[in-house]
Amino acid sequence: MNALLPSPATIAALVKIGLLIGGLMTAAAYLVLVERWMAAWVQDRKGPNRVGIPLTKIRLFGLGQPLADGLKIILKEDFTPKHVDKVLYNAAPLLILATSLAIFAAIPFGSVLPPLGIPGLPDPVPFLVAPSLDVGVLWVFALSSITVYSVLLGGWASNNKYGFLGGLRSSAQLVAYEIPLGLGLLGVVLAAGSLRLDVIMSAQAQSGVWYVFAQPLGFIVFLVAAFAEAARLPFDLPEAEQELVGGYHTEYSGIKLLLFLVAEFLHMVTASFLIVIMFLGGWHFWGLTGAGDEVTWAGALIRFGVLSAKIFAVILFFMLVRWSWPRFRFDQLMNLAWKVMLPLGLANLVTVATIEEFRPQLVAALGAGPAKWLAIAAPWAVFFIGWIAAGLLTPSGTDNRPIRAHDPFDIEHELSGA
Amino acid sequence: MDAILPVLLFVVIAAAVSVGLVVFAELVGPKRHGAVKEMPYESGMDPIHDTRRRFDVRFHLVAITFLVFDVELLFLYPWAVASRSAAGIDAAVADGFVSSRGLVFMAAMVFTAFVIVGFAYDWKKGVFRWR
Repeated sequence: MNALLPSPATIAALVKIGLLIGGLMTAAAYLVLVERWMAAWVQDRKGPNRVGIPLTKIRLFGLGQPLADGLKIILKEDFTPKHVDKVLYNAAPLLILATSLAIFAAIPFGSVLPPLGIPGLPDPVPFLVAPSLDVGVLWVFALSSITVYSVLLGGWASNNKYGFLGGLRSSAQLVAYEIPLGLGLLGVVLAAGSLRLDVIMSAQAQSGVWYVFAQPLGFIVFLVAAFAEAARLPFDLPEAEQELVGGYHTEYSGIKLLLFLVAEFLHMVTASFLIVIMFLGGWHFWGLTGAGDEVTWAGALIRFGVLSAKIFAVILFFMLVRWSWPRFRFDQLMNLAWKVMLPLGLANLVTVATIEEFRPQLVAALGAGPAKWLAIAAPWAVFFIGWIAAGLLTPSGTDNRPIRAHDPFDIEHELSGA
Repeated sequence: MDAILPVLLFVVIAAAVSVGLVVFAELVGPKRHGAVKEMPYESGMDPIHDTRRRFDVRFHLVAITFLVFDVELLFLYPWAVASRSAAGIDAAVADGFVSSRGLVFMAAMVFTAFVIVGFAYDWKKGVFRWR
């Protein structure tokens, strides 16, 4: 073969990258429309329903809106104020969009294709850009941590007080919720025995027990942490419009603002992918998709459809939560992360580790059927105990004024146990 | 190399898409400057002082705690992967590297217990009290 031509595996990777980036950008644009429809529905008004085909009277329920918005914002002035740090100001939006796209290198968006029989291409072809990357989930987490940098960079480089405060809040929040996120993930990794998301999905398909049923506490912890990491309401403190105008992107306009907003939407999409893949069974559905690696074309399509439907449902849930929950105050936010989610995550980790360790002994003692049900019942018991304990230990909702310490700057006094 | 090449391609293409969008918008968009337009936005007021001042970062302790906990969790990932995979703990026991599977489990649980003790200590000391 000609040495200058890329190998079939590279071409396959390029095709998948093209499909993913195109699909994600389009999805982000149209999800904005869906979100606005959702907002309109919750607030009992009509929402965007006018923009259709230009120069005609065809409205198409407003489906032209994302195209018009995108075109408009690209043609807008991309204004760089005088007082900013030019290099960092320009780097922040590029960094955030590039990382939030590149996250998808390790996220599968389906199961596998049937064997194609192309020489040089390993069969079956998985719906995954980097199929032999063993550290899948770690790649996802590493890149989503880089997001913190771009938000902080954007906020600091803007040299604007709103932007600065937004960046600070964002870094505190993302840092705090990364630990519950990691704890939720750790339970799934323990049960599946792999960091690869496609292996995690097929492990759930083969046992037929999605991890949401086997690890309810881990699911709740991960769900809450994922909301916080995506900075969606009720955790959108970094850009609370009523307090900080726009937070870290106050000084941005035009295309750079668009990059920030698209990246934020992509974070929500990523979070939905992770929730579905790790806890809701991925492409698996009982009696519909099968569980093995052998698929027909129809089977591959059905699996892709099931996965997409679940992800869309989770995204709709994200949107519904956004329009029905009030925002937390910052001390409540930090308390939830450190005093509720972290202990619950640790409880989940210990429970799952114990069950997975002693599963062979359980099966030997009780038989396969009862052992399976016990392995599901025990985490649920821990879930309810944790829920009740968290409810009893948190102060009642009537007095939720922030605790004012004696002197907010006197940290030594605080630490000496006053 | 086969594993990492698609990832590198993806990073390069994603960066190219972002840069391309910004450059394109830079070329087609208008450019108008003005003294007022270039001021920092502070809800229409004149800016009081520069943003680059000393700022009391309240979550300094929280950041340190995060670092500790995150690193401690990172130590648990290899154990989590190895405890179930074929080339993991069971293979190590068979090869005689580890005396028994239960020992590894005990070690992991003791480690988790240390994490919990440290967490309780931090809580008692008021590290998580947000003021």
